[in-house]
Amino acid sequence: METTLVQNLPEVTAAGVIIKAILILAVIAAIAGFGTFIERKVLAFMQRRLGPMHVGPYGLLQLVADGIKLFTKEDIVPQNANSLIFKIAPSITAATAFIALAAVPVFPDFTIPEWVPLLGGVFVPSIAADLNIGILFVLGMMAAGLYGPLLAGMAQANKWGIIGAARTAIQFLSYEVVTGLSILAPIMLVGSLSFVDFNNAQAGGISHWLIWQQPVAFVLFLIAGFAETNRTPFDLLEHEAEVVSGYATEYSGMRWGMFFIGEYANMITISIIAAVVFLGGYSEVGIGWLTIILKVGFFFFLMLWVRAAWPHVRPDQLMWLCWKVLMPIAVINIVITGIVMMV
Amino acid sequence: MSTVNIKIDGREVAVKEGEYILNAARANDIFIPAICYLTRCSPTLACRLCLVEADGKQVYACNAKVKEGMEITVDTPNILEERRAIMEVYDVNHPLQCGVCDKSGECELQNYTLELGVDSQSYMIPDTKREVKNWSSVLHYDAGLCIVCERCTTVCKDMIGDAALTTVKRGGEALDKGFKETMPKDAYAMWNKLQKSVIAPSNGTEYTNCSDCGECAAVCPVGALVSRDFQYKSNAWDLKRIPAVSAHSSDGFQIYYEVKPASIENRNEKIFRVTNEWNYVSLDGAARFAYDFENTDVTKDEAAFAKALEAFKNAQTVRFNSVITNEEALMLQTLKEKRGLKLYNPEVRAFQKFLGYYQKASGNRFWTTDNDAIMKKSDFVIALGSALRNDAPGMKYAFNNVQKLNKGAGLYFHPIADTLIPSFGKNVECFTHKPGLEEAALYLVLDLFADKEKLPEEVKEYLASFKTTETKTIKEKVMKDVTETVVDEETGESKEVTKKVPEMVDKEITVEKNGLVDLLGGNSSTFTDTFEKMMKKKESFSMMIGEDFYYHDKAENLAKLIALIEETSEIDVVMAPPKANALGVALICDLDDEAEGYTIGYNEIGDFRLSALGDGDLDMPAMNQQEGTFTNISKRVVPTNAAVEYGGYELNDLVSELIEEGESLTVDWTVRLPASKGFRAIEFDALPNGYSNDGTENRGYLLKTSNRKAKTPSVEKFDEHAALEGEIVYRCNPARQFSDFSDKAHEIFEPFGLYASAEKAEALGEKVEVVFGNGSIVVDVIADEKMTGDITKLSDFKSAQNVYELFGPARYQTVTMRKV
Amino acid sequence: MGLEQFKNRNVGTQNYKMLDLGQSPETGMGKFKQVLDRTFKGELLVGLWVTMREMINALFKGQMHTVKYPFEKLPISPRYRAIHDMLRLLESGHYRCIGCGLCEKICISNCITMDTRYDENQRKEVSEYTINFGRCIFCGYCAEVCPELAIVHGPRYETASEQRASFSLFEDMLTPIDKLNLQQEYDGFGAVSPNADENIKKTPLAY
Repeated sequence: METTLVQNLPEVTAAGVIIKAILILAVIAAIAGFGTFIERKVLAFMQRRLGPMHVGPYGLLQLVADGIKLFTKEDIVPQNANSLIFKIAPSITAATAFIALAAVPVFPDFTIPEWVPLLGGVFVPSIAADLNIGILFVLGMMAAGLYGPLLAGMAQANKWGIIGAARTAIQFLSYEVVTGLSILAPIMLVGSLSFVDFNNAQAGGISHWLIWQQPVAFVLFLIAGFAETNRTPFDLLEHEAEVVSGYATEYSGMRWGMFFIGEYANMITISIIAAVVFLGGYSEVGIGWLTIILKVGFFFFLMLWVRAAWPHVRPDQLMWLCWKVLMPIAVINIVITGIVMMV
Repeated sequence: MSTVNIKIDGREVAVKEGEYILNAARANDIFIPAICYLTRCSPTLACRLCLVEADGKQVYACNAKVKEGMEITVDTPNILEERRAIMEVYDVNHPLQCGVCDKSGECELQNYTLELGVDSQSYMIPDTKREVKNWSSVLHYDAGLCIVCERCTTVCKDMIGDAALTTVKRGGEALDKGFKETMPKDAYAMWNKLQKSVIAPSNGTEYTNCSDCGECAAVCPVGALVSRDFQYKSNAWDLKRIPAVSAHSSDGFQIYYEVKPASIENRNEKIFRVTNEWNYVSLDGAARFAYDFENTDVTKDEAAFAKALEAFKNAQTVRFNSVITNEEALMLQTLKEKRGLKLYNPEVRAFQKFLGYYQKASGNRFWTTDNDAIMKKSDFVIALGSALRNDAPGMKYAFNNVQKLNKGAGLYFHPIADTLIPSFGKNVECFTHKPGLEEAALYLVLDLFADKEKLPEEVKEYLASFKTTETKTIKEKVMKDVTETVVDEETGESKEVTKKVPEMVDKEITVEKNGLVDLLGGNSSTFTDTFEKMMKKKESFSMMIGEDFYYHDKAENLAKLIALIEETSEIDVVMAPPKANALGVALICDLDDEAEGYTIGYNEIGDFRLSALGDGDLDMPAMNQQEGTFTNISKRVVPTNAAVEYGGYELNDLVSELIEEGESLTVDWTVRLPASKGFRAIEFDALPNGYSNDGTENRGYLLKTSNRKAKTPSVEKFDEHAALEGEIVYRCNPARQFSDFSDKAHEIFEPFGLYASAEKAEALGEKVEVVFGNGSIVVDVIADEKMTGDITKLSDFKSAQNVYELFGPARYQTVTMRKV
Repeated sequence: MGLEQFKNRNVGTQNYKMLDLGQSPETGMGKFKQVLDRTFKGELLVGLWVTMREMINALFKGQMHTVKYPFEKLPISPRYRAIHDMLRLLESGHYRCIGCGLCEKICISNCITMDTRYDENQRKEVSEYTINFGRCIFCGYCAEVCPELAIVHGPRYETASEQRASFSLFEDMLTPIDKLNLQQEYDGFGAVSPNADENIKKTPLAY
């Protein structure tokens, strides 16, 4: 059953991949923007506020207004900044975030109906690039994303930016370890780095989900995912109470917006990985597209929820947690997993 | 005057004999409540608040005189109860509109209600509708607020002399008889009277026919009488009081300009009204209502200033009037000395000359008394040469006050009969003589009052030459006893009854006739008796001299006659300087008889005009915009202050440029006023300005008088034929008008024109051209109900009309009237 | 009073609850234990639950706190002292101000000015009235002293304007004649006390 699903698929053409790429770019960028709206709304509700209300019905068009604002704001490059790097840095964040998404199954596949002129009959795959090392690629890409904040912080000739950059380096590098180690255990169980394989491995209902076999790995991955995406309680990179805006201090307008989009794209990526690796992905027959959306939605909501509920940690606590708690646990988890597999 | 010692609430005070207890207490700073009593007027006994206990007996402090060793208690429980009841009664039906009342904050009803602790009301009576009325162009009477204390009627009768107000029936409901038993006696009596009366014009019409002096409004303890202009304009507490001197009549009344910002838009201070210390000084209409003559919106116009300097360099004459401070007069005099300018002031020149004649003849530097002293002690006043009602309000008040308060008598000599003067008292005798016979009047005074022993022989003879005797048959009523037999109708008995029956018998008497009396328009056959009656119990005599004498052909002889009268009789003399600061100008400036060449007019016509009226070539501050001193009729140098802001140049600025001995401020000149004329070197800021509780005037300083005995002046006989005949015009302003400044004020309505008695006015028509020997003037004819006779009065207050020029050196002129 | 007493003096009747902060663990093991404690005690979940509960309350139980300010306004205290209102008489519609000038007099920042005149009905008319809101400190003395309850502090606390003058004239503060039925009596500073009747002494009246 697992193989038929893949083998029965039509051939993936270049046109299909391009359409997929455009789709991802457009939809995820839009969702990232929409995510800001959702975040503001959810945070507001949890604080018994209304959130944005005045632009469009229930404030729905707020993101349009914000977009217009971001696009039309003056593009300021600080006088002593390294302007080239300063300008490139945001695109690194955005680009890596979207590149990572290339290896992630975003929607189920479909074929464009025949009657559509020009593109009719083109098969659009669920994954733009169905690499057999998908997970590795995604994690690698997200790790590469650390250059965005790092370069941005160092290029802007601002003390807060430097601190932000330093924090970026330690936080991202440290938690990269935890991410990798935590996801290693499921990989050992499934025996593949392909998301499709993960998905297929968990087909067969909730009881087949890897979360039951690897609860510790799931928790560790989640924690590390928060840190990787720079979310509360690990938003040390740009925590305004401590470092003004960290690496983004000198940014404004669309450049700042690109960091934002990158962050939200990463949030979606992490959500998708978590959903596919631990919660059975889109493996439910027939309603796979719906369940994956629900699962991704749940993780996304969780991130907002956590932000509303918890305070953030100190940098020393963050490092302590990473190296003295999470990393050992992850290693132990792998060892135990290995032993269990051997036995 | 002898003093007596009394004790008020244990405090020993020495007071003048014959003084009322209330005045004694006031003079010594002891408070006795009183609403209706005015210090210089007769007691009204309307309020009964001044009830005190004197030697164990309750008396009214306002009309009980002090006695040696009297012990007075101001408050006893019984008296306090009476007073409280009286205040409660005053508060019955008094509208609770203090919020809008102009008097609120300075209301005596409010004050006494609080002072006597009235916190509840025990009495009631249905109210009567009382209408608000405008009595004249300035007076507004709200009968609803009136407490009928009668201060207005009292001051009008006893001080002002117009007696224009009286109490009339109110038509209120009668008091419940029950109150008579339950209420304190005095409160009931006071209420009974209050409930029946209200104030109204005494002539029976809706409108007062008076001089519109506004003194009634000033003394009103409540908001019933308020000037129409001030009504509802400002609260008393918002106004800042600036002590000053009235700039119009020569009385130099002390006034307070009350100022506050003009409006919401215009924050510059504006004069809202003039108030006075009405217990010590009474104002005339000009002093009270002619206050807004300031020169507004003036800035330092350098071009005009430069032109003015140029004009002064070219000028040969400065023409000015008496509306000028002593300091400015001194500046002009200094200019004259340093730069040889002529000083021309027709208003003052004649007076200055007359004063010179008088000084020479009498040896006195000044006249010997003043209006205040006359009011305090004189009981016989003689007024000569002054249209009392128009020229000299202070003199008019004094003349009247003597009749009313000192049981006095008065003689009034003037060519124009005034119906008001005889009404001052039953012992006032008026002589309406022909103009030109002023000497005869003085001779009559000599005849009546002089100690014949002291008179020079020729004068004695001259006086005797007017006397004739004649026998006259008069009918006399004699009571005669007549015996009759009367038959009793019932009994039939006859009885002899003796009755007194009047019978007229002819009697022959010798009557001494005085030709002077007849000459002056009197009746010599009755005058002797009248005069005898007038002279009863008289001790202190005063004579008032007016402006007519200064403009008389025989001014020198008149001055000598006055000196002779002073020397040979008990009479004290006061002279009225023509206007404003005429005395100061006369003393300080060395005036010239004629203007010559290029003339600078200061508030007067001229080739270059300095003017505080706003129409000149260079603006000057008006009297309410500058500091300085005045010299008034009481020979007192009094300080005045600036009430309204002035932004332009002053005379001092010009003078500082023109001469080297300038001063930085106008008032720096005050110390430089000539000591040889009686002035003292006192800094302006050190001059006091007020009255003490006993009414002592404590303003500025008195000029130093000097008295070197001169030999008895030799006087000339008068020429009976010098009397003017024909159509005669008298240069005289209507009451309340003195100069362009009073004319500028918006509450002065008296127009420029020819004032005539009603019949004469009708004969003349509406407009007339008065043709003098040296020109003519076209004026409106205005009827003055209080004038009688054919002589008309031509106003002179508009300097632009140059009336002084038409009249020349006289105040009476024969003219031809041409209808226009 | 000694320093010790001063510190221990009774400054009120508040019952403060002191937090038991305990001791921070010193050893690595202790810290690890603390992490375990905190992790497994479920405290983190309590936090999540609290926020979720508030969200549910807000969304479904009508406990949303937000007031959409320019469209919705919270009622303010009757004693709040905002921009002044000039009230009218309910019966005649004539403004209550009689021009007595007490507000002008009592104003401690000297910001009230009025012009009055004698009008055609023989009454005192307030021809112009203005409050300089640049100087007004909203102390409420004017409302307190007003004998007619004419000047009161209204509810208009939004004082942003292109010009201060927009508020300051009599007409701006006066109840519009067509809104007379909406005029609210003021309960704050200067209003009649609720038991005023008891404090009034009756005066005999004959009619």
